[in-house]
Amino acid sequence: MQRLRLIFQLAVVAAALTAGVRFALGRSLVSVETYCPFGGLETAYSFFTRRQFSCSAGEANLALFIALLVLTLVARKAFCSWVCPVGTLFEWEARLARRLFRRHDFAGRWPLAPRVDRALKVGLRLLVLAVILAATWTTGELVFRGYDPYYIAFSAHGHDVQSWSYAVLGGLLLLGLALPLAWCKYLCPLGVVLWPLSRGGALRLARSSHHCTGCGACDRACPQDLRISAADQVRSGECTLCLACTAACPSPQALELVWPRVGSNRGPR
Amino acid sequence: MKAPAWLVPVLVVLCAVAGVIGSRLAMAPSLVEVFAEASPNAEPRRSVFVVRGVRCVDTAEMAARQLAGIDGVQRLEAFASRARLDVTYDPARVDAAALREAFEGPVHDANSGEYLFDLFEVIEMDGVKIESGREPESP
Ligand code: SF4
Ligand code: SF4
Repeated sequence: MQRLRLIFQLAVVAAALTAGVRFALGRSLVSVETYCPFGGLETAYSFFTRRQFSCSAGEANLALFIALLVLTLVARKAFCSWVCPVGTLFEWEARLARRLFRRHDFAGRWPLAPRVDRALKVGLRLLVLAVILAATWTTGELVFRGYDPYYIAFSAHGHDVQSWSYAVLGGLLLLGLALPLAWCKYLCPLGVVLWPLSRGGALRLARSSHHCTGCGACDRACPQDLRISAADQVRSGECTLCLACTAACPSPQALELVWPRVGSNRGPR
Repeated sequence: MKAPAWLVPVLVVLCAVAGVIGSRLAMAPSLVEVFAEASPNAEPRRSVFVVRGVRCVDTAEMAARQLAGIDGVQRLEAFASRARLDVTYDPARVDAAALREAFEGPVHDANSGEYLFDLFEVIEMDGVKIESGREPESP
């Protein structure tokens, strides 16, 4: 399953790069923004109040955003680990950093206390979301472009990408070396929109204490640094159903994907 | 109840396909510009232009300004994400070829006061593809 996920990730990254280069060369009219579901949220206010789209957003953004909400209600934040090319970049970086710095897990250089971690995940991302939506909804422009890692990385120096935009992307990648998936966990505005839906997502991982040996391999394999081995079910809104934990688990049937309402313990958040 | 792991990629693909199909079900403009009311006796025509260079509301507004003052043009609807401009006009006073010429003409840039050339290129008109004769330029 991890190989299939890698194929998904490679395909999306390749498609986004191709779209960006083709648009930049004038060979296509479809920019990388066309397929960004966050653009759907950015234009939602304009669409529902004026029946018009803002800036370069269109039907595809809105439809993909709605599809993403449905996906999250069923399969949690699977979008983040199976589709999102920015999630892919940061995950690959986190894996590279883990090797380079010989770390055993994805806790990073400065593991945060769980309460601080939770507060930052919600607070910072909500702040980013509020600023972007307020700016976009009042100006009608996709003002986030120059700071958006997706647009900077995949638009082939698209409109609104300035030299400082690359510094922003570089800074985020540097931060990601110390704090794995820093963008996804603490800054991504789409992540915080999906988070409450993901918490109630139907599919989840269940750990059987009967089969579990308590080795902790799942905890170490989880890019989101969730404590799987301590719970009966992973209920965290941050779980991306990447299934790295099930792949790492040496005990068959200890960790399985289930439909909801099996077991009772509260899982990691 | 146990669920197979392959369900995750299958759901991802299904939702992506649903999103792409859903985007074709409805259409809304990024910009609507009304130039003149239709005269009671005229039978307006609507032409659809796909214009390279139109990629957001700003560029659609620039393209719309190219039609200002042209007799017979009534309304423009821009669909920026599709680089598409739908123009409603009175065929007795103006035709689609003249509208294409207007789009492709020099564009006055209000910021610099200069004229920009080759900013827009009509690559499709009423469903008919037009051979590109030049490389596109960014504003
Ligand atoms: S709990 Fe498992 S499926 Fe969820 S993010 Fe962590 S490794 Fe991936
Ligand atoms: S990897 Fe498997 S056996 Fe080890 S702690 Fe996690 S669920 Fe238990």
